[in-house]
Amino acid sequence: MKRARITHQGRAQWAEVVEDGAALIGADGGRLAASDVQWLAPIEPGATVFALGLNYADHSAELGFKPPETPLIFLKGPNTFVGHGGSSQRPADANQMHPECELVAIVGKTARRVRRADALGYIGGYTVANDYAIREYLENYYRPNLRVKNRDATTPLGPWVVDAAEVADPQALALRTTVNGATVQAGSTADMVFNVAWLVEYLSGFMTLNPGDMILTGTPQGVRFVAPGDEVVCEIESVGRLVNHIAGQP
Amino acid sequence: MSSPDGDTVTGAIIMISRAAAKLDPSSGAAYGVALNDQRQLTGLGRALDAPPYSAPPKAPVLYIKPRNCFSFDAAPTVLPPDLETVQVAATIAMLFVRDLTRAWPDDVWSAIGAACLALDVSEPIDSFYRPAIRQQCRDGFLPLGDFAPVPESWGEIVTTLDGREAHRWSLDRLVRPIEALAAEVSGFMTLRAGDLLLVGVAADAPLARRGQVVAVACAGLPPLSTALIAEARR
Repeated sequence: MKRARITHQGRAQWAEVVEDGAALIGADGGRLAASDVQWLAPIEPGATVFALGLNYADHSAELGFKPPETPLIFLKGPNTFVGHGGSSQRPADANQMHPECELVAIVGKTARRVRRADALGYIGGYTVANDYAIREYLENYYRPNLRVKNRDATTPLGPWVVDAAEVADPQALALRTTVNGATVQAGSTADMVFNVAWLVEYLSGFMTLNPGDMILTGTPQGVRFVAPGDEVVCEIESVGRLVNHIAGQP
Repeated sequence: MSSPDGDTVTGAIIMISRAAAKLDPSSGAAYGVALNDQRQLTGLGRALDAPPYSAPPKAPVLYIKPRNCFSFDAAPTVLPPDLETVQVAATIAMLFVRDLTRAWPDDVWSAIGAACLALDVSEPIDSFYRPAIRQQCRDGFLPLGDFAPVPESWGEIVTTLDGREAHRWSLDRLVRPIEALAAEVSGFMTLRAGDLLLVGVAADAPLARRGQVVAVACAGLPPLSTALIAEARR
């Protein structure tokens, strides 16, 4: 099953995605054409959102870093998400904004000191994130700092959440990002330095993971700067195809 | 700044009453800010020009304390077996009741609905280079006092360990006072109704050991206390 957070006729709700995404079953049980809804980021209020930096060896090399021995993990606030089909703003003083296609693992049940062998059983679903970075704002304090990674509506998320049961192996999924149709990232979740199960074991080893918490698992190589007017699509096999548009600063 | 929004204001007020009723979790984020202590910045001096920093910070140095950290009602703080000593940094949390976006300092107070004492607990770490999730985000590592209306002035924040004074500081030490801090942060991210902003921590905040009781007081705000206890054997 795929679940989406949408608004329809002014009402925010969770809906079941049917007909390969062409329609949804709304909270009242009626069929809604996808063209009649707006997609919101499929996130629960209060969720803790982790994100990985440098979690693909090829991307680390591209940025001039060695792959880390311990995971580089940062957190994101609720302001930063935007739904499928939405837009993300590139500030007027920034040219170095680039998309990052990431598999998102969503915690399905409370996890504390979970062993790696059991870890995927604590994941309830998956979605796609585009964790834009704006490199001009990088500073070497809690890097990547919030001015880079926690700007309003600069983390497209969605379009929906796919049940974990429908993803046979989260470490064997093709990822691809296109900008105006041209491929700028193409990789596989097989190349993560720290995979989903490892991350659940690591994080739950020192803190409680709660249902709805999300782990953005990092991005493969392919740094391509985007500009207002661009259409950016992040697609992950068996999970979804997430569309975003770059807006200029008014 | 956004106009008053019935839903978000209601949500934030619900959060105040939840917090007052000691219910957890909230749906907001808690943002902390490092290196907002002028005494600390002065002490670090040229060290911030050297690697890995290479330059002093320009934007506020923010971090996030997620919901598993929130702790209310003087609940004990459980230290895991690998952690006998923690830093206990007393500060003040501002609760936003309206969204604050691209604001001027003069706009800030109209978006803040309440304040409380907060104890930012962490495993000591010298580096500010990478996010310190493991050190900062253990369960219960942000005890919060009861919320109260924002006081008209800020007294000293006094921390005691087992009843003996261990630390005292005042918000006069902040590099960016509350209005300037919130306004600058709101320039690149919205502080939303329900969010908390911890206004800064003192670099010389004390260390406390397992078994000690930490209490924080500040005139005008309800006091906070927590006992640092060992995790029960599993």
